[in-house]
Amino acid sequence: MPSSAATDPGEVSDIDLVKRSQAGDTRAFDTLVTKYRGRIYAMTYHLIQNETEAWDLAQEAFIKAWRALPNFKQDAAFYTWLYRIAHNVTYDWLRKKKIQGDGEFDDERTEHRVAAGAEATPKGDAAPDTAMRNAELGQRIQEAISRLTPEHRQVIILREVEGLAYEEIAALVPCSLGTVMSRLFYARKKLQEQLKDVYETTL
Amino acid sequence: MKPPSEDHDLIRWIDGEMNDAERATFEARLKSDPMLAKEAEELRALSAGIQAHLPAEMKIPHADFFNSQIQVRIAQMDLDESRQKQAGNTSLADLFLSWIRQPWFATAGAVALAVLGFVWMRPHTQDTSHSLILSSYTPGLGVEASTYHDNEADATVLMLDGLEEVPSDRKISGISVHRSETEPEVASTTLFDATGSPLLVISRDDAGHPLFLTNTPRG
Repeated sequence: MPSSAATDPGEVSDIDLVKRSQAGDTRAFDTLVTKYRGRIYAMTYHLIQNETEAWDLAQEAFIKAWRALPNFKQDAAFYTWLYRIAHNVTYDWLRKKKIQGDGEFDDERTEHRVAAGAEATPKGDAAPDTAMRNAELGQRIQEAISRLTPEHRQVIILREVEGLAYEEIAALVPCSLGTVMSRLFYARKKLQEQLKDVYETTL
Repeated sequence: MKPPSEDHDLIRWIDGEMNDAERATFEARLKSDPMLAKEAEELRALSAGIQAHLPAEMKIPHADFFNSQIQVRIAQMDLDESRQKQAGNTSLADLFLSWIRQPWFATAGAVALAVLGFVWMRPHTQDTSHSLILSSYTPGLGVEASTYHDNEADATVLMLDGLEEVPSDRKISGISVHRSETEPEVASTTLFDATGSPLLVISRDDAGHPLFLTNTPRG
């Protein structure tokens, strides 16, 4: 499970800030927001792939955390607890978007888009500048992830970005360990298919 | 099609989720199965690529505005809660008035008044009046603003830590703020003098920066 960021020796600890926040000190909570907004925003952005929505959802996560702070028992690290809230807020949003019939996560459309993307970026089309090639690759990876279903995208972000162990992913989602492994496998296979011109090797 | 356990072994190897014995067995399989080895290598490269291109931390756009909006929403929630409590008190008052019309109220009222009289004789230690500060912002990085309500002075005190010292030859004159009104809908606070005239309006512009409107006499 993600833990709190490394702290400077002179920095106030999360425990102190949480205690002061629980007593109603909004400045202490503001310090926690400043400390973790970058990581929470990164998570929401990777899952949503939309800057404005990710910004709103990150804010919503902090508001929910403030409201739930009286119930926070400090039996887990603050960031772990905050991360769960942010994850649930974001995943609820994704589920609602899916229920509303947005075709963005339709697997059939994904297949079509994969073919189109592969044609647009022929194998061996090397950019002259390495940095630019890296940026292009990053963009393609982002796009490929955005075409995954919410369930597949979720496990990829939790594993590859947050570095969670399988048990932690299963507890957070929640689902069985077998489901986590299956989703990770199929998510990677779909990504591999979309990025095969980049990651395909010859025997 | 491969059985799920084989797929699971593959990703558990990529993610380092195997113990030593499992890893040794699987790597022996990789040596004897070039197709599986190729697939494993491609998936591992993909995994490394994702990790390299998706940062765990990103710079949030309009970071100061992000924080200030959270503070404003927290203040609005507090205000809504206090309004709900007030509404609840109003309902209780209506209920109390309906009891007055009951025939047994006179006797019960006499007993209650005796008890209440005893309680009222004790000095009040809590003052429920307060000003609500939606959020504070200081343009200077070295200056920190904080507020508290002073019961003795019946005033909200604004503390600015980190300001430069005022030269001793500088004459300072102050203004007397008699009361303040907060309008959460537009996130503004108005300060009034003793005559009820507005002295200062504190609000925010569209970008979340503070706005100060003063009632300056025209010369």
